[in-house]
Amino acid sequence: MKKWTVWIALLTLMMLPVLSACSSSTGGSGGGGNDGIKVGVLFSLSGATAVTEKGMANATLMAIDEINASGGVNGKKLIPVQEDLASEPSVAATKAKKLLLEDKVAAIIGCYTSASRQAVLPIVEQNNGLLVYPTLYEGEEYSKNIIYTGATPNQQLQDFVPWLVKNVGKKFFFVGSDYVYPAETNKQVKALLQQQGGQVVGEEYVPIGQSEFSSVVNKIKAAQPDVVFSDLVGDSVSAFYKQYKNFGMDPKKVPIASPITAETDLISMTKDVSAGNISSYGYFQTLDTPENKKFVEAYHNKYGKDEPITDVHESAYFSTYLLKMALEKVQDPSDTTKLIDAFAGLEFDAPEGKIKVDEKNHHTWLHSRIAKVNDNGQFEVIVNSDKLIHPEPWAKVIFPDHAEPWNN
Amino acid sequence: MVIGQVIADGISIAGILIIVALGLGIIFGVMKVINMAHGDLIMIGAYTTYVFSTVMKLPFFAGMIAAFVVTALVGALIEMLVIRKLYGRILETLLATYGVSLLLQQIVRMIFGPGGKSVKNPLESSLSIGSVVLPHFRLFIILFAVFLLLLVAFVIYKTKFGIQFRTVSQNREMSECLGINTSLIDTYTFAFGAGLAGIAGAALAPLKTVSPTMGLDYLVDAFMVVVLGGVGSLTGTAIGSGVIGEANQLLTLVTTETLGKILVFILVIIVIRFKPEGLFKMERR
Repeated sequence: MKKWTVWIALLTLMMLPVLSACSSSTGGSGGGGNDGIKVGVLFSLSGATAVTEKGMANATLMAIDEINASGGVNGKKLIPVQEDLASEPSVAATKAKKLLLEDKVAAIIGCYTSASRQAVLPIVEQNNGLLVYPTLYEGEEYSKNIIYTGATPNQQLQDFVPWLVKNVGKKFFFVGSDYVYPAETNKQVKALLQQQGGQVVGEEYVPIGQSEFSSVVNKIKAAQPDVVFSDLVGDSVSAFYKQYKNFGMDPKKVPIASPITAETDLISMTKDVSAGNISSYGYFQTLDTPENKKFVEAYHNKYGKDEPITDVHESAYFSTYLLKMALEKVQDPSDTTKLIDAFAGLEFDAPEGKIKVDEKNHHTWLHSRIAKVNDNGQFEVIVNSDKLIHPEPWAKVIFPDHAEPWNN
Repeated sequence: MVIGQVIADGISIAGILIIVALGLGIIFGVMKVINMAHGDLIMIGAYTTYVFSTVMKLPFFAGMIAAFVVTALVGALIEMLVIRKLYGRILETLLATYGVSLLLQQIVRMIFGPGGKSVKNPLESSLSIGSVVLPHFRLFIILFAVFLLLLVAFVIYKTKFGIQFRTVSQNREMSECLGINTSLIDTYTFAFGAGLAGIAGAALAPLKTVSPTMGLDYLVDAFMVVVLGGVGSLTGTAIGSGVIGEANQLLTLVTTETLGKILVFILVIIVIRFKPEGLFKMERR
């Protein structure tokens, strides 16, 4: 008798993310017609990861505006078609399908989480579409329909780990959120540690979203590491950094080193908590180059001066320019196969410096930098890679003989 | 000495759990409303503290009081607009408050942006006894939890509102016959429970992350404590918090974080299996 109510309740609960996503979609049809090139912009504007993805969408739209203001692509304007995937991979798949089949976009720039990329992957492969994926990720993937412009773990780690061993200490303690990215990243850190003669003194993975770290800090204290290597994500980050300091650990003596803690996380902790900790990225907001100053100023003028800019925002920005350059090389924007081929070897002066799409493996040559949080709570770059680093979807340190699918 | 630290941490977590669960204990335990928005009321309390202590640079404790007032008002509003129509329909309260939860999250996201905010820790130093380190703020939370427990006990057992509130929860029709304005008492009760959630948010803000999604973590913890301790019992809430806090710390000492959490859940399920009404059953006539 009461059973049907339960079913309706469950169904409604499951429908909620979908419903909320529908209402916020902004159709890009109308306008344009034949004199523009449609580009899908697919990020989460609501839900758990909106904090970062909103900024990525903003950076993409800003680049599109700049490109249009300076004449567009071969005289044609880029027309953004924005969709909200609401932090739901299943919605990402639906929206990608809509962008490809209904809007007939030339390419999609989008996705932040690996889960959403993996949901979109079969859609772009089946419909021969193009996804430009501007996020650092765990690697071990290649699709002929995806151009990866974010870092693979080797690009962030192969300079970082030896530097830490040499300048901070040999004993590492791992703290991470319990999902695929930290697991894959730490596999590589461990391989690099072994090469460098470092050692792992402890390892803890907590459920995503956990904000209580007293027991973890106890274990760290007992293990007496030189470096705490964190791949925590989301709300856990600032909770951990706060409690680490709170329970008497000193980041200036034993720093938390991270390939994922970014400017967005620094805002949610006070500077006495963040100072002394170390992160590695290709891009930092405080980077002192003319290109970056121009980029940061333009972004802050458009979206507010307190908006943090991180590595993935910069990636989304230069990815749009890479797409523009690729579009300029093809006659027909709807010829996706030629468009994807046009990416090979493209070079661009990004805010982080000159970057280059690999000739073969659909990933991007990027910079590597190490930055320490100073007493003002800002990243200060202390090490710059002098040359671009080769993207290795299957890192040589753990997969020395992995097949290279791009050669088939 | 590690064990001393672990036990001390367990007590401090128990303190956090008491603060988090008290408001839910009243709303779920006594009013029989499954309040899925409890975590978001905690979140609103944390944001209120952020506005008062970080933006307006007022003392932290002013932020705590403001957090109680603001969330109590939000709670009163929720009760009058949504919950009032749904008393006695437990499943519907679950759905409606889940909607309220999404609504509150999105409103906060629209006002403050999706990023996290920071609240400065008002008591930064820590106390060391031997090798046991107890940050002063954690000590404060333990004491504050005890204070809140006593305060709630006082309100429920000694004030006129408390007596009326217990009367209504035991026999609504009879209370009405005796001239008690039951719907007003309902609003007050819900607002009181919500205000307690707001204070929890204020107390946790310097320790944890202030973000629109922060409530979810506490929602699960709070329900676990209330169900384990016994629905509607203050002693149960205190003991439930202690058991879960200590069990969690002791288990993570011998195993990993994730497994420790799972074992605590299993423990709770086993207790509920044999004592379906929780450790402390409230006397019903």
